[in-house]
Amino acid sequence: FVPSDPPPPRRPQVYADQHESDEDKQFRKVFQQLAGDDMEVSATELMNILNKIIAKHSDLKTDGFSIESCRGMVAVMDSDSTGKLGFHEFKYLWNNIKKWQGVYKSYDADHSGTISADELPNAFRAAGFPLNEYLFQMISRRYGDDNGNIDFDNYIGCLVRLDAMCRAFKTLDKDNDGTIKLNVKEWLQLTMYS
Amino acid sequence: MSGVAVTLAKKRAIAAGFGTNANAIPYLNQDFASLRAQCLSSGQLFCDPTFPAAPESLGFKELGRNSPKTRGVTWKRPTQLVSKPEFIVGGATRTDICQGALGDCWLLAAIASLTLNEYVMARVVPTDQGFGSDYAGIFHFQLWQFGEWVDVVIDDQLPAKDGELLFVHSAEGREFWSALLEKAYAKVNGCYEALSGGSTTEGFEDFTGGIAESYDLQRPPSNMFQIIKKALEAGALLGCSIDITSAADSEAITRQKLVKGHAYSLTGAVEVKYRGRQEKLVRVRNPWGQVEWTGAWSDGSSEWNDMQGDCPQANAEDGEFWMSFSDFQRQYSRIELCTLTPDAIENDSVKPWSVSKFNGTWRRGSTAGGCRNHPYTFWMDPQYVIKLDEEDDDPDDNKVGCSFVVGLIQKNRRKLRKQGEDMLTIGFAIYELPQQFHGQRDVHLDKNFFLTHAQKAKSETFINLREVSTRFKLPPGEYLIVPSTFDPNLNGDFCIRLFSEKQTETLPCDDPVKADIDDEMVSESELDSGFRNLFTKLASDDGEISASELMTIMNRVIAKRTDIKTDGFSMDTCKTMVNLMDDSGNGKLGLVEFATLWKKVQSYLSIYKKNDLDNSGTMSTPELRIALKDAGFTLNNTIYQLLVARYATDDMILDFDNFVCCLMRLEMMFKIFMKLDMNNSGSIELNFNQWINFSMI
Repeated sequence: FVPSDPPPPRRPQVYADQHESDEDKQFRKVFQQLAGDDMEVSATELMNILNKIIAKHSDLKTDGFSIESCRGMVAVMDSDSTGKLGFHEFKYLWNNIKKWQGVYKSYDADHSGTISADELPNAFRAAGFPLNEYLFQMISRRYGDDNGNIDFDNYIGCLVRLDAMCRAFKTLDKDNDGTIKLNVKEWLQLTMYS
Repeated sequence: MSGVAVTLAKKRAIAAGFGTNANAIPYLNQDFASLRAQCLSSGQLFCDPTFPAAPESLGFKELGRNSPKTRGVTWKRPTQLVSKPEFIVGGATRTDICQGALGDCWLLAAIASLTLNEYVMARVVPTDQGFGSDYAGIFHFQLWQFGEWVDVVIDDQLPAKDGELLFVHSAEGREFWSALLEKAYAKVNGCYEALSGGSTTEGFEDFTGGIAESYDLQRPPSNMFQIIKKALEAGALLGCSIDITSAADSEAITRQKLVKGHAYSLTGAVEVKYRGRQEKLVRVRNPWGQVEWTGAWSDGSSEWNDMQGDCPQANAEDGEFWMSFSDFQRQYSRIELCTLTPDAIENDSVKPWSVSKFNGTWRRGSTAGGCRNHPYTFWMDPQYVIKLDEEDDDPDDNKVGCSFVVGLIQKNRRKLRKQGEDMLTIGFAIYELPQQFHGQRDVHLDKNFFLTHAQKAKSETFINLREVSTRFKLPPGEYLIVPSTFDPNLNGDFCIRLFSEKQTETLPCDDPVKADIDDEMVSESELDSGFRNLFTKLASDDGEISASELMTIMNRVIAKRTDIKTDGFSMDTCKTMVNLMDDSGNGKLGLVEFATLWKKVQSYLSIYKKNDLDNSGTMSTPELRIALKDAGFTLNNTIYQLLVARYATDDMILDFDNFVCCLMRLEMMFKIFMKLDMNNSGSIELNFNQWINFSMI
């Protein structure tokens, strides 16, 4: 697993103003509208945005993003336990969602609007997560419906989580020996806030 | 970022010794040595992308873009300003610090005091740099930031107007360490303007990592002299000043040659025999290097002739002089004292205080309980225990007890000014722990304790300063310290430090993380025919219940209840429930599995009802903490904060489905941990596939 570059740490506004591309600046404007006065995106705000977007894409099968899954997405990316996302965290999430949406469409081989258990391995490999067969099966069971078909909101929720968990592993495996050691407090911090 | 893992990794790094002065953390991951080497080999002068030579680095309002004060400002390197710039000429001295167009005199006064302590100075201003052969336009300084030492890299482009530095400059003009240090300080605070207005003690602390206290000499503690004497013995930085009542008074000189509104250093305290009695003397230094006190005990005054004892007279016109402590108290208004931490003390003969430091957070809904005025939430604030064993050794003071100083610092607020945030109002309360709690560290005291016990001491005030610090003298015993914001539910990060003369034991007081899980499966024989029939009806043809079937059942049952609020069980929650109970691993529940789950949900429901004290049908976050305990889960502050952030709504309540989801998940995670930690070692080791397998559930 080779993670893509992580989002930059929260940088001073001065840096942002100075170095942002035009695209970034436009995105920041959008962000400011979404995030409101506190300049942070909450789970509810995230849910509203995502549901507005999918409403425009009729080819994506979904029953809409639930508040639970949005809370989960915010949680896996939030590092100061405020339950909100800052600009860079949100942008990182946003770009990933765009990328994964493309993968979703091109790997939905039977155009069912969902990713079936058969389609999952190739889709996830294309998204950058070459896992083993066992894990793919586990994911289909956990995130799919009774038949193992994953609709769009579950697919995104799953990938956001998977990306964060892969990243968490890399971050904690300081010596790169392929294992991480956790005590019960750390274990709960990592697994309960997700 | 990668969420909690980053926070954990950082905590581990600090535990491994990063962030001490000897092992400072590179600020924004910029490493001075390698950046300089890069610049030297490429022949480019360093330009710092994280603090650019641009209007935004100057300020946001008075020093904002296009403001009158910044009009005509250009960024110049020292080499463009003078022909032969130097980093330090003839040692760093107070004349190197002349204030510019910025209201940061508090910082400059602190820098001036810093120059008096060569050892501390060398730590802040590393000497491995200059304008010689290794010059590459890059400099670095080490600052203390809320409990950690950071190494701050800057480029040497300085704001200038008409060929002169806009801010700090040396009297000499050719010497640049002070201007560069100010720039580094501006960088960690976001911009130059963020430095405007502050207290000298803030600067004292950021250069020493010590703890600052301020004493009003109109209302001094009875043992003021002992405090000064001991602080000096411990290598502290001390400053004193005479308050001014109007701006016109600034630097006005009294008849006896004391300067008002000016920062003096306090450098000595002795007791001598004078005319058959003990006389207390203090030595004061005017950083101008001249203009000395002319009253009793001044240089060459007659008092010295009748003095017996060991006290070096100060006769030179060097700005330094002695005066009697009683005169001193009459003339001066204020003492600012910064006690160094043990690692800042060079001299082995001084008696360093012992220090402990903890980082903590106040979070809305979980650990931001507000002050004692809010008994419903106050108990949720972070708690710390200090155990005082040994009384001080000060024969002069007949009050026995153990001295200690508590300092509570709020983090990063100066930096947030640009976003319109400012300091929170903070303070702390101290409770004496009754005998039955002695020796216990793994208990977070609950609401009842605070309702039935009075506080023993408290911070002087709740105030919107960066730091609140207060000195105490209490009899030996165990005490609980509760830092808080004044109002509840405000997010903030803090660092609390406890300094004590004697070795003491200080620890955060928090619940252990453990679970007492009722693991018993319902036996098939317990089930009556009614339940069996119900199951058959609910289960599909395969005789088992899937997650989506479970969801239908749960929601149908819950819809009939008017006493609990819920927006329905989500598929996620139902999957968690199935995963938790599903021993056969087929993703569905059989009769016994379902019955066991059903029993569990029933018991969670009664816990929910019991703890919904206000009968709102929902669970408030303080109610949650108690309910979790009832359900067998003891959790610490950190995990509790995460649960609130994850499962509570924006108005900080949990409805029934969220409550069940939270408990089910907790139970599952505890179970996985216990299963993996077969020999009860307290930690587990996971490879990548195991990690993904369990964390994706």
